[in-house]
Amino acid sequence: MARMKFLCDADRCIECNACVTACKNEHEVPWGINRRRVVTLNDGKPGERSVSMACMHCTDAPCASVCPVNCFYTTADAVVLHSKDLCIGCGYCFYACPFGAPQYPRVGNFGSRGKMDKCTYCSGGPEPDLSTIEYEKYGSNRLAEGKLPLCAEMCSTKALLAGDGEMIAQIYKERVIKRGYGSGAWGWKTAYRETVAI
Amino acid sequence: MRLGTMLTRTFIAATALMAVAAIDAPARAQAPTTAPNPTADSVNEDLLFKQDPKIHGRISIPDQKAANLIQPQGREWRGFHEGWMPWIGAAAILGMIAALALFFFTRGRIKLEHSEESGKKILRFNGFERFTHWMTATCFVILALSGLNYIFGKRLLMPLIGPEAFATLAQWAKYSHVYLAWPFMLGIVFMLAVWLKDNIPNRIDWQWIKAGGGFIGKGHPHAERFNAGQKVVFWMVTGFGAAMGITGLMMLFPFYATDINGMQIMQGLHSLIGVVFIAAILAHIYIGSLGMEGAYDAMGSGEVDLAWARSHHDLWVEKEQAKTASGPQLRPHQAPAE
Amino acid sequence: MKAFAVAVICAVALGIAASYVLATSQKFAWQAFSTTSARVSQPGTNLVGPRWTGDVKGPHDEVAGDPQPGKRS
Repeated sequence: MARMKFLCDADRCIECNACVTACKNEHEVPWGINRRRVVTLNDGKPGERSVSMACMHCTDAPCASVCPVNCFYTTADAVVLHSKDLCIGCGYCFYACPFGAPQYPRVGNFGSRGKMDKCTYCSGGPEPDLSTIEYEKYGSNRLAEGKLPLCAEMCSTKALLAGDGEMIAQIYKERVIKRGYGSGAWGWKTAYRETVAI
Repeated sequence: MRLGTMLTRTFIAATALMAVAAIDAPARAQAPTTAPNPTADSVNEDLLFKQDPKIHGRISIPDQKAANLIQPQGREWRGFHEGWMPWIGAAAILGMIAALALFFFTRGRIKLEHSEESGKKILRFNGFERFTHWMTATCFVILALSGLNYIFGKRLLMPLIGPEAFATLAQWAKYSHVYLAWPFMLGIVFMLAVWLKDNIPNRIDWQWIKAGGGFIGKGHPHAERFNAGQKVVFWMVTGFGAAMGITGLMMLFPFYATDINGMQIMQGLHSLIGVVFIAAILAHIYIGSLGMEGAYDAMGSGEVDLAWARSHHDLWVEKEQAKTASGPQLRPHQAPAE
Repeated sequence: MKAFAVAVICAVALGIAASYVLATSQKFAWQAFSTTSARVSQPGTNLVGPRWTGDVKGPHDEVAGDPQPGKRS
């Protein structure tokens, strides 16, 4: 099976936020929950870059390790998913995540922060694929339909790449060689303990 | 002739243009020959990590916390929480249980020494003091169990009862943990109010410690209302209680006082202090129940055997009896006068 | 024994009281991150909408308060 990853080519990203909007619309994500976001670095200065960031579906994911109810699991495509039936809303995954991916319906931590929500790599949750209950809890399951995550598929500059890690790394490498520059695969060192060697 | 003039004019114009170009040249000498390299001055992950341990930018959504792009400190917290914490917790709690068992089987139960005063009762803790103790104690037991559930639940309990049942239990454990924390904190405040005046360390405590507290040697060193050991318990409970309260509140109200790194540290402190607190309270429970005959009555009924009081808290008994002799007789439901 | 019983009852009562008092300051993400221009209403039941509880029924899973009415000026 493939080892699914995201790669954001910061030299192409124009901070249009279409990935954010696509994600919001595809999964009907409520206001205040951000599965994907675009962060602009060095804003307004020379060398400004924007990076689209969501759950990176880490190798040996910290969220899964610290979860006190073990609600996380990794699919055959190496996508990190979680069960909202088991989640108790404690916030541990939020402490552990290097990318700020876990989102909660409530702001205070007393009682419960509610069921954690994060990027599913457009592949739903533990419920049967493409079922209504899966859609209501986790959003649509594009992977089960043979499609890639919508954020990357509709990226206008093809800055955001999704797919098998080796393939997207190859695409990125070719781009860098052809145009002569590249600011690297953002977050890969933290998420996968490796980077795209150019 | 006309052609010659034109040629001359053209030549002059061309020379002038070239001269202008030559003046302008240093400013854009490289422009046509090499491709622009935007990476030369673009931000770079490695460079940003050298400047700051986390990468922070600007974001256009209202949740400004999302402006942190990468914050790898969570991996260190994870290493502590999953690598060290279960072992520290197990060592503290099992170590204390083993030590108490060893003490029980070697020293045995500390017996009540009978004297002519046996059978007479003296009021040691009034109703409010016992109420404060038990409110804090019951909250503590629930908080300790639900707190340990965060560390050990998935390791010990989840394989036994299955993930669904365990998730339901953990959810209710979390509710009880965050809501019973409030009566617990109130109890700590009450304890400070009612027992602070009897817990100021003084010279008698030093004598008590030097004599081994009566645990090691024979006989009982002098003690006032609380001996040095009890004072240690008091200051441990109030100090750790306050620390647990503060670190807990930081996590209950995310981002009010600290950022995510602050919360990681708070969680680490909360869990470390928590297991030490639990281990210390295990010792307190042991000595107050199984470890010493007659001690439980102080918190059970509030009245202790006068012989027990005389041997363990001689100075306090003298003070109380002096008060009784000169002043009005203490009734069981009346708070002891100061 | 009476002190113990009163203490347990009091602890439970205070815990429940704390849950109600804290619920008043609890905010949903859609409330907390709405702005003067983005007047957000209750987002419904999809994904992590406030009414969605999963199988676990806990206190205050219902909406704590109505969305703040948008000010038109």
